Amino acid sequence: MSMVKLVGIADVAVVRAPEQLCCIGLGSCVAVFIYDPETRIGGVLHALLPRAPDGKRSDAKYADSGTRMLHRMVISKGANKRKLWAKLVGGARMFANLDIQIRDIGGENVRQAKKTLRELGVRIVAEDVEGNRGRSAYYSLEDGTITLKTAFSTDKEI
Amino acid sequence: MDESNTGMVLGIIKEFANVGAGNAATALASLLDMELVNEVTSCNIMPLSRIGEWLGGNDKVVAGTYTQLCGDLRSGVLVVFPKESAVTIVEHLAGEDTDLVDLTPIQLSALCEVGNICLCWYLVAVSRMIDTDLIPAPPGAAVDLLGAVLDIPLAALGASVDSVIAVHTVFKGIERSFEGYFLLLPEDLMLKTILEKVGDTLI
Repeated sequence: MSMVKLVGIADVAVVRAPEQLCCIGLGSCVAVFIYDPETRIGGVLHALLPRAPDGKRSDAKYADSGTRMLHRMVISKGANKRKLWAKLVGGARMFANLDIQIRDIGGENVRQAKKTLRELGVRIVAEDVEGNRGRSAYYSLEDGTITLKTAFSTDKEI
Repeated sequence: MDESNTGMVLGIIKEFANVGAGNAATALASLLDMELVNEVTSCNIMPLSRIGEWLGGNDKVVAGTYTQLCGDLRSGVLVVFPKESAVTIVEHLAGEDTDLVDLTPIQLSALCEVGNICLCWYLVAVSRMIDTDLIPAPPGAAVDLLGAVLDIPLAALGASVDSVIAVHTVFKGIERSFEGYFLLLPEDLMLKTILEKVGDTLI
């Protein structure tokens, strides 16, 4: 089995098959996966917050600037811009009864990632988002399959 | 923070950690109706990004209770019980075998309350040490992957908090023992207040 590279919070990584990527313990964070099935080049962004405060162009901490950054990196690695698709994972509401000073960050992360992907013209082919459970995502670059693990249910693939 | 400063801060943390753990043990002994002694096994101050690793990895299942302080001294406060400890607590309270990933609402609520009591009694220790009232908002609780539980404090305070004060405590009973982590995520003003108030008394 090939190496699985861990992509932590506020990080972005782009690889090609047969390498693999994973994000462990996604709560309100959103993971944006972009993949080109032809070249089998793909990447993932692990974003913490929805919007960069000053419209910073390259900051993987944020769903908007991070998604643009991931999109650029995947293309510059050699992926075909017209073939790209995206999958979204995460954006849960971890503490349902806690709303003081904390908005629904998970939901906002997902909405922002979708908006940015739409602006970039990348279609979303699958998602496993929101709810109130954390997820770990293992991303195979062989065919773009994402295996999802939670603390509560059996594994599933998207 | 320079090295001499870190040493002093660690001394201060140990001081309040022992008082806080003692408070928490007394309160929990009463709640759980068992005799408990406590032992603070380690105190640390570390970057927010390293907490997951220190607590055993982001893929571990834990029970977390989180809140933030109201008022000027903004801080996040998180109590984490590792899976085995959370199971021990719930089984003791419920008197039946428990699966952490399949808790009843009552069991989850009980676990949240244990976390809340711990959290408040540690805070009392901090509050007395710096001679300032600290008022926590009502807490939220989650049983989930550690990484997911840590997302909210990171998202809420990640931009304004650099260092986390972390305390590991073992609570030992006659038949059962469990362990818990108390994490204080102080914004700059809070950290400064702790250093100033306690710095004065040390001199």
